[in-house]
Amino acid sequence: MTDTTRRAPGGGWRRTHPRTLLVHATWPLPPLASLGAAAVLTGGRIPPGTWITLAALTVSFAVVTAVGAVRWARTEFRVTGAALEVRTGAWTRRLRTVPLDRIRTVDLTATPLHRVLRLAALRAGTAGEGSGVPTLDALPVAEARQVRDALLARATPGAVADDPVLARFSPRWLRYAPLTFWVVGGVLIAAGTVHRVLHGMGVDLWELGVVRRAFAAFGTVSPWLTVPAALLVLLAAGAVGAVALYAENWWGHRLEWADGSTLRVRRGLFTTRTVTIDRARLRGVLLREPLLLRAGGGAAVRAVAGGLGDRDENRARSGLLPPAPRALAVRVAGGALGAPFPDPPLPDRGAPTALTRPPRAALRRRRLRGLCWVTLPGTAVLAGGAAACTPALLVWAGAYAVVSAAAVEWAAREAYRALGYGLCGGHLVVRSGVFGRDTLALERSAVAAWTFSSTPFGRRAGLVTLTAAFAAGEGRHRIPDLAAARAPGFAAGAAPGIVEEFLVGAAESGRR
Amino acid sequence: MPGSGTAPPPAAAPALRPPRHRVDPRARRWWTVRALLTVGGPVLLTAVALALCALLFFPGALPWLGPLLVALVVPALLHLVLMPRVRYAVHAWELGGRAVYASDGWYRQRRRIAPLSRVQTVDTVRGPLERRFGLATVTVTTASTAGDIRIRGLSEAGAEELSRRIGAAAQLILGDTA
Repeated sequence: MTDTTRRAPGGGWRRTHPRTLLVHATWPLPPLASLGAAAVLTGGRIPPGTWITLAALTVSFAVVTAVGAVRWARTEFRVTGAALEVRTGAWTRRLRTVPLDRIRTVDLTATPLHRVLRLAALRAGTAGEGSGVPTLDALPVAEARQVRDALLARATPGAVADDPVLARFSPRWLRYAPLTFWVVGGVLIAAGTVHRVLHGMGVDLWELGVVRRAFAAFGTVSPWLTVPAALLVLLAAGAVGAVALYAENWWGHRLEWADGSTLRVRRGLFTTRTVTIDRARLRGVLLREPLLLRAGGGAAVRAVAGGLGDRDENRARSGLLPPAPRALAVRVAGGALGAPFPDPPLPDRGAPTALTRPPRAALRRRRLRGLCWVTLPGTAVLAGGAAACTPALLVWAGAYAVVSAAAVEWAAREAYRALGYGLCGGHLVVRSGVFGRDTLALERSAVAAWTFSSTPFGRRAGLVTLTAAFAAGEGRHRIPDLAAARAPGFAAGAAPGIVEEFLVGAAESGRR
Repeated sequence: MPGSGTAPPPAAAPALRPPRHRVDPRARRWWTVRALLTVGGPVLLTAVALALCALLFFPGALPWLGPLLVALVVPALLHLVLMPRVRYAVHAWELGGRAVYASDGWYRQRRRIAPLSRVQTVDTVRGPLERRFGLATVTVTTASTAGDIRIRGLSEAGAEELSRRIGAAAQLILGDTA
């Protein structure tokens, strides 16, 4: 591990591993492969443009590799007793010193290529967003682990809990993978991408003999057979894709308390990643139950934590548990929270609900909104078509109106049923949503600001939407459609010290 | 519905009062001009141009174009007239002992309260149009963008004074780095 070539002169400075250069030298392979494929598909005729592309590719490869080699040679790092220091830059030398007690998270990421070369990229995260600590790409796996432990040694005094492992991957979870609307969207996106790539290579899909014959055969069969068959194929392809994606992202998943104050997620099949979250930065957890997953009895868990980066990075890194059995998800959420996850039962399940429900006006509002935005436009368009062209469309207009109104009614009731907010110990608990139902448990002390917002319709119905702002995760969470009269009192009770001095009327109305 | 919390709020439910201080009256004119530049003006110009074209060249189009133009122009005029008034009635601010409080909006109205202990920076911004009317905007940022408070339509002197006072008040309160 400690071969002399990697020792930069003096003071314990180290370089990343030279095999890294190999990782960064493979990017011309996909374009070369696509050029080769194009050559094969077009029967060996190589258009003149290809030679120019090849030349450009060669030149840029040489330049990029040279720059990469210089950059590699000029990047050094060391871990001292107090800080991580990274020196970078070919011309302008830059030394970045990150105090160890500021390091909140350390991720190890390895793409398949990294893994073949037994390397891993290490990324240290501090509290600030986009703090610009350079990624050390890449170190031998053993050394990366050792550096990670050295970086986190300062931040993590504390004892390991009784059973530090909160969840281990089970292949049975794969059955939850296809339970998302992305099954259909994903296939369409993939098909579009393939078409565009082929088109870019000069191969037109519709001109290929195979495709043409298939289409001709398709046209001669009854549409009552072909349309369901096509749908079935689409769904099957989407399901396979979803399972593959799930496996790539979550295979070997393991969520554990690395010690008393660091939560660690390890996951990935080809690309493995490890995300560590400092307990002090973990302000809450989110239980996610999108419609289809909910119907299948599953749920996923996300962390609401600071220091995970911007919105996109946060989305990629905050996952604690993939879609998995709901009971397990609730248990894992509780384990991450350090307290039983308040999983308030739905109002009509017999048990008294712990959450306060918004007034019935919230239900009427949802119903009206659905009718205005879903039922009305479609019916109007179909009815207009009937008036303009053929009366036969009138039947369709009627059918659409009835079916969509029924769907809207169901969705409105389902949405209203889930709505609720309340306090549970030190946590603020909010549940809402019908297509994507989220239950948030957030530390009350994390709330940094309150926003009350309302529209004219909401004001007439006596409703207000309360938004909590906090410096973690997505940064905000909405509590939709509270009774306007209760919202200020709730905000004051949930996070003291923010709204109190602007409240009036408690004393007077109390005396009355 | 048994066991549900839809009961009427308790008698002692406190209410959130509006912030004490209104913004500068000149803000009304600023909002009117801004609306004229972004929404009202373009819509009105388009409508006039279309009407002229139709009158001169395609008189046959007027029966269906007329109602369409009315449907375009009336909302634009309403926006132009009503929006600044409603905004002036809604927009307000207040610096309390422990928090900053502001309300804004016209259709969707917002009231936002952020404690001084979470304040990170106080910016005063003057846009080109705002400068014309001697106005300024004070933005108070917190660690979360959803907690940032923006007070628009202050007089320039008032904005300076306010940002200075918020800065001083935030200094006094022990900072909270969360």
